[in-house]
Amino acid sequence: MAMEEREGECQRKPVSSSTDQYYPLDANCYKIVDEIGRGVSAIVYKAICIPMDSSVVAIKAIDLEKSRADFDSVRREAKTMTLLRHPNILRAHCSFTVDRRLWVVMPFMSGGSLQSIIASSFPDGLPEPCIATVLKEILSALSYLHGQGHLHRDIKAGNILVDSNGSVKLADFGVSASIYESNLTYGLGRSSSSSSLRLTDFTGTPYWMAPEVIHSHTGYGFKADIWSFGITALELAHGRPPLSDLPPSKSLIMKITKRFRFSDHYEKTKDSKKKRFSKSFKDMVGLCLDQDPSKRPSAEKLLKHPFFKNCKGPDFLVKNVLQGLPAVEQRFKGAKIHSKNDEDDEDGDDDYSSSGENVKQRRISGWNFNEEGFELDPVFPSDQQETDDNMGKQVTFGGEIVIQEKGSDGSPQGSNSSPGQHETQAASTGGGIDMGVVLGSLLFLRRSLDDQRQQVAQMIASIGGEDSLETSREDQLMQAIEKLRTEVESERKKRAAVEMELEFLKLQLSNEC
Amino acid sequence: MKALFKSKPKTPADLVRQTRDLLIFVDRGGPDTKESKRDEKMAELSKLIRDLKQVLYGDSESEPVAEACAQLTQEFFRENTLRLLIVCLPKLNLETRKDATQVVANLQRQQVQSRLIACDYLEKNIDLMDILVAGYENTDLALHYGAMLRECIRHQSVARYVLESEHMKKFFDYIQLPNFDIASDAAATFKELLTRHKSTVAEFLSKNYDWFFAEYNSKLLESTNYITRRQAVKLLGDILLDRSNSAVMTRYVCSRDNLRILMNLLRESSKSIQIEAFHVFKLFAANQHKPPDIVGILVTNRSKLLRLFADFKTDKEDEQFEADKAQVVKEIAALEPKERP
Repeated sequence: MAMEEREGECQRKPVSSSTDQYYPLDANCYKIVDEIGRGVSAIVYKAICIPMDSSVVAIKAIDLEKSRADFDSVRREAKTMTLLRHPNILRAHCSFTVDRRLWVVMPFMSGGSLQSIIASSFPDGLPEPCIATVLKEILSALSYLHGQGHLHRDIKAGNILVDSNGSVKLADFGVSASIYESNLTYGLGRSSSSSSLRLTDFTGTPYWMAPEVIHSHTGYGFKADIWSFGITALELAHGRPPLSDLPPSKSLIMKITKRFRFSDHYEKTKDSKKKRFSKSFKDMVGLCLDQDPSKRPSAEKLLKHPFFKNCKGPDFLVKNVLQGLPAVEQRFKGAKIHSKNDEDDEDGDDDYSSSGENVKQRRISGWNFNEEGFELDPVFPSDQQETDDNMGKQVTFGGEIVIQEKGSDGSPQGSNSSPGQHETQAASTGGGIDMGVVLGSLLFLRRSLDDQRQQVAQMIASIGGEDSLETSREDQLMQAIEKLRTEVESERKKRAAVEMELEFLKLQLSNEC
Repeated sequence: MKALFKSKPKTPADLVRQTRDLLIFVDRGGPDTKESKRDEKMAELSKLIRDLKQVLYGDSESEPVAEACAQLTQEFFRENTLRLLIVCLPKLNLETRKDATQVVANLQRQQVQSRLIACDYLEKNIDLMDILVAGYENTDLALHYGAMLRECIRHQSVARYVLESEHMKKFFDYIQLPNFDIASDAAATFKELLTRHKSTVAEFLSKNYDWFFAEYNSKLLESTNYITRRQAVKLLGDILLDRSNSAVMTRYVCSRDNLRILMNLLRESSKSIQIEAFHVFKLFAANQHKPPDIVGILVTNRSKLLRLFADFKTDKEDEQFEADKAQVVKEIAALEPKERP
């Protein structure tokens, strides 16, 4: 391991004055107590700062060797964390390098992340009043963040931290972007196949680009955060992010990316109707998950939603969420053992504030937010014709890609490539993946797709049968063919996406061997 | 009561004028003014600067209007507003500093009648760059001044001034400041200065070759700091491989001192540094007019080098890298120690 506990010769020389208190910029002044989180390129420690009356801090140690040579994303994260001041945003006390690692010293949030809280004590999700309280705080952070021209881009329970006094903070700006940053080496939409906005494309062009060119895209980015906020709400409500009630064939693409855990839990809650959520909660989430980004409310507007009217204070969270919770160190250790036993489990996402570092995208053509069941169901192209009646809202989202996820390493995809880029891929590799399993799964997926296609064809035929009074049989056939053609087209696209994913995994695998 | 009669919206030029008046007030910092009065004015100033930002960037509801931006820009540079804003920045609160930085950044790109009047202004007030560069020495201002500075050096003439000024030497220290956010900001500016305006950079490097590379080698490439070495060797590669710097490159690869440093970097335990070092080292090997002492070093270390390259791989398959490596291996293997007549 890169660092051990250090004691002694701690001088009080250079200090960071960018915080209200001055934290020393010298590793010798800190004593590492425990590991509380781990991602692919970062470890989070609990530590004490000796000259600051041994106050407790969290240190995120980022492995710079895994970062791109211009360190742009790391620089951006450090800068963002230094310059943002909001009670619901986790700041950095200071940051400095220790050999090959960057140490970011932050306040220690003893409750850990909501994701780990849920995993350890609330497998069926948090009670609604707690959710409202947490979400309101996060919304307040988002509203500030967006007002500052920043996008967070990785909102999820794993990035929401709770302190012992019940205060809630949004963390991990490893993938955040600023619309005011002059060198937008990041695509705001980090999707290589999405046609919408790729700021990356502008990077090399004349620098005199009109600000409105940048700005016209920003609405999109902000609204993407709102979307993630809605998903996070579901995650808190059910104890799991959406998707886990899907048959394996459908969830497979997601499974490969290893973000979601799989269990029958979602279905259980659904069937037994144990959970009742208020109308205003459902409505609020429904607004966030609108298919049209422009129709999703801004964070500021959302704050005024009735759901957030009678929110409780931090004490409420202390009593109802934090009491009896195992310490964050304990939970981390538990999670580590757990994930060793369960290969399908997410890797490294249990950490304290750094998230999984994987650059991953899940390809789904859209989502149905099922307001009745208060769940989000992904839409695969073949489902689309039949969904209209029984689903509340149909959501499609900027072409193909719905959720983007990227770790704090944040290697920009497809940014202007330079000779030094070979580490990009390496930096983004995830945990070990069993090729055999993946291949088998992919084959299974293909079979299932074929089945679905057949079913759809039958359905179309039966619908066509009813209309036969008005349209000639030939017309019907033509229509059916047309529909099938679109169908095939979208299936083909999807398969291409899966193949890309496979290629990517192969790459990872070969890198790791 | 005011709300009943909504006052006429201020024009962009009004906003600038009022900002300027308040900045003059803040700049004088009259001790006679009461504190409450002062706070009130500061709050007003903060609001105005936010309004300026809103005109230039728009907000969630509206896009910026070109005409309004042009008016604002024109009024801003008609008088000395930029200087006032820069000088008064330390007196503003954090949120206002950030807004001000974004305003200044945006103004660098605004055109008025297809002219970048910010550039004209800066050329006449080039000493402002001295303030901005020195900002790296102040922890609280560094990130704001640094961001402004990077925007200003988008203008070639301004970049030339900074390159040729005494400030250039200070960057070698700024890059290694202990505070990571500041050090990395300085590194980003340094890189920008040395890569953005090709012809200016080439001219600067050939005129200042001796001191610049002496500093670059000793302070950056041989730094004890991992991140400094890694950034420096990457930037060196970028500079030397740029066609506009070919004269500088030719000179660089004829020095045995330089070769020695690069060979040390090749032996680093950090893969990233090794790879970047290779991209510079290959230039020494590929040089068709190697001076005898360079040949001598390469021949002496031939077996070590060939062994190193034998299992030298990038993490990802990289055809170009493999081709370069093969070329370098071939060059080194074919070397004959030759005596100069």
